[in-house]
Amino acid sequence: MSTRQHGAMRSADDTVGGRQAPTVSPARRKWRPYILSIPATVILIGILYPFVQGVGYTFLNYRATEGNVHFIGLSNYLQVFTEPLFWGSVRTTLVFAIVATVLETVLGVIIALLLNRSSLIGKIFEKVLILPLMIAPVIAGVIWKLMFNPQFGILNHIFHLGSTFDFLSEGRALWSIIMVDAWIYTPFVAILVLAGVRSLPKEPFEASAVDGAGWFYMFRRLMLPMMWPYILVAVIFRFMDCLKVFDIVYVLTQGGPGHATSTLQVNAYINSIINFNYSGGATYMFILWIIVYLTAQQLVKLLGRAQARAAGSEA
Amino acid sequence: MNSPFTEPMSRRRLLQGLGLAATAPLLAACVGPGQSSTNNGSNAVTGSFDWKKAKGTTLKVLQTPHVYQQTYQPLFKEFTDLTGIEVVADLVPEADYYTKLNTELAGGSATHDAFMMGAYWVWQYGPPGWLEDLDPWINNTAATGAEFDYPDFFEGLRTSMKWDFKLGDAAGTGGTYALPWGFELNNIAYNKTVFDQKGIKPAETFDNLIQLAIDLTDRGNDRYGIAFRGSKSWATIHPGFMTQLAREGGKDYEVKDGKLTAAMNSQVAVDFTKKWADLAKKAGPTSWTTYEYPNCTGDLGDGKAMMVYDADSATYPKNVKGASKMAGQIAWHPGPAGPGGSMATNLWTWCWGMNSKSKNKLAAWLFMQWAAGKDAMNKAVQSGAFADPVRQSVFNGTFKQTLGGFPGYLEAFEAQVPEAKVLFTPQTRFLETTEDWAVAVQSIYGGADAKTTLDALATSNTNKVNS
Repeated sequence: MSTRQHGAMRSADDTVGGRQAPTVSPARRKWRPYILSIPATVILIGILYPFVQGVGYTFLNYRATEGNVHFIGLSNYLQVFTEPLFWGSVRTTLVFAIVATVLETVLGVIIALLLNRSSLIGKIFEKVLILPLMIAPVIAGVIWKLMFNPQFGILNHIFHLGSTFDFLSEGRALWSIIMVDAWIYTPFVAILVLAGVRSLPKEPFEASAVDGAGWFYMFRRLMLPMMWPYILVAVIFRFMDCLKVFDIVYVLTQGGPGHATSTLQVNAYINSIINFNYSGGATYMFILWIIVYLTAQQLVKLLGRAQARAAGSEA
Repeated sequence: MNSPFTEPMSRRRLLQGLGLAATAPLLAACVGPGQSSTNNGSNAVTGSFDWKKAKGTTLKVLQTPHVYQQTYQPLFKEFTDLTGIEVVADLVPEADYYTKLNTELAGGSATHDAFMMGAYWVWQYGPPGWLEDLDPWINNTAATGAEFDYPDFFEGLRTSMKWDFKLGDAAGTGGTYALPWGFELNNIAYNKTVFDQKGIKPAETFDNLIQLAIDLTDRGNDRYGIAFRGSKSWATIHPGFMTQLAREGGKDYEVKDGKLTAAMNSQVAVDFTKKWADLAKKAGPTSWTTYEYPNCTGDLGDGKAMMVYDADSATYPKNVKGASKMAGQIAWHPGPAGPGGSMATNLWTWCWGMNSKSKNKLAAWLFMQWAAGKDAMNKAVQSGAFADPVRQSVFNGTFKQTLGGFPGYLEAFEAQVPEAKVLFTPQTRFLETTEDWAVAVQSIYGGADAKTTLDALATSNTNKVNS
């Protein structure tokens, strides 16, 4: 049997909607993957190039105001790791990230559970809840800075704290910033968890109710395990965001008083933009990237396990 | 057949690719920054001086909203009529101003031909070649009119614009990298009405100032003794703090064996800093660590702060009729003298710098020459809010005539101006090291031990300025 087919063998699968698929020449077939991958390659270069350049800076003594830029190996890392400021920043960043995430998660879950009950007030609150998310964090920071002002701020007035109580003093600044972060982002957690709660199957709860289980038992043994993947997604988002917090900290305190609220991002900004020390700033950023990357990996693994467990509990 | 799209990339190939990609920015970075401009355009200007030499040019200037900027804004039309040059002024709030300017200059941008800056920026922007050396322009009679009269600027201002970029050399050496425009001396502005009611006078020693400020503090009635800057910024150090530290005998650095050695941890400095932080706590604004000069002068104008230790030209506008609640009730005093009667005063100048990358240098120079010229400055002063003109002729003429009911202002000025100069040692890490200093003062305010904190600061700053 002879065939007049060129190139690849045709088969019955080479039909589209019952019609014969157009023939693709070998040359086009060879280049098509390259052409189709151009947009992704451009995007990848757009992400990779600045990243690689930034990492490259960490091995230089690059200061914008000084010449004689040269390779200095790991000196930037050695300097950063021996600075008390760096370790202070790591501590501040972690305290902020952990406390803010826990606070926002707990409050978010409580709010989600309250809103899950169908009522008019709940529906109104559901709409109102997203308002803080509509405000840019920088603007929220400015608003809170005014509210924190001891002389004319509304908080001192409402709580009768007098004009000597300063929310942004050395011992309180970090907690005040956490409070502002919670104000902005708790609704995000609440909305995410609420979506999860509403997607849970009703049958296990009805069965438990028939067996006489109480609300707390059902919450602990049924709802929480099934909600856990949704909560973890919120935790991952918030924890990653908190690790790289900058805007509200800079607006409220610029990392002060002293170094009380100096997070890794704030120090990177001050190094790079204020002090022209591009290499120092890049070193801070790269270390932060490593921390975020490793933490994200662990949290995603945790999420996978939680999802598997939740699937088991549903079955 | 092997295909890059069907086979996973090996780790070795990935690393090879990343290594190659990394070399490009590394090589680019090795030749990019720190190059200085050597092409000064003044040589191209020849013939006789004529204001119309750059007619038809559009000049872009960068400014921050400030009394000086506001008084000159209406005058720009006169400059355009005189020269045929259009001026486009971009305004950036002071909190972000230098970030904008730093980024622009570091990027080698020629967007703005001239910009407002302070004397300290000569030390930052001069060495990498971002600023035009103005000496060739000043000395070129084809580019500079005979009436410009450069020696008419106060001497302390002229020297503060010059540096040779050598560590340890004082300001006043080398080229001229900016043109003075407005300046300020740091002293005490006080609520005269309250002082008169209580029958008290401004303090003549630092210890008396502390006591006086504490006595005047009445938190229950939202009134406190003294305002001065406390935010996490270099700007916290340069006004009242540096002035009084110098009067008490303190310094920022000393030159030892050709190197700068930080002296902000000397015994004098430790004692002074401890007292300063204590003063802020006992008699300063409650949110002191966020305080910048508008907060200080605002509280003085509102009658909340009884005294302000800051720039005289910043407190001056608050006494102009209708400008504040306390307008007409503010008076000035040179501030406490040091133990030996020292009236050392740190001065600040707003000045004009020229972008070395500018493509309109002649137009920029004509603008700077006009802005710092006698005619425009006289008109700005007559508007009523432009304090401390940088020209002796304008100060002694128009400014003294407009001062009128500003008790003590002129006396304080004349007592201070002989010893007024930039009290900081020129060095390229000024902003960074002075911000670190402000952070240290904030920490001491927060309860940290003064000696330990300042020792650590001095070690760090000595390393930084000599690196």
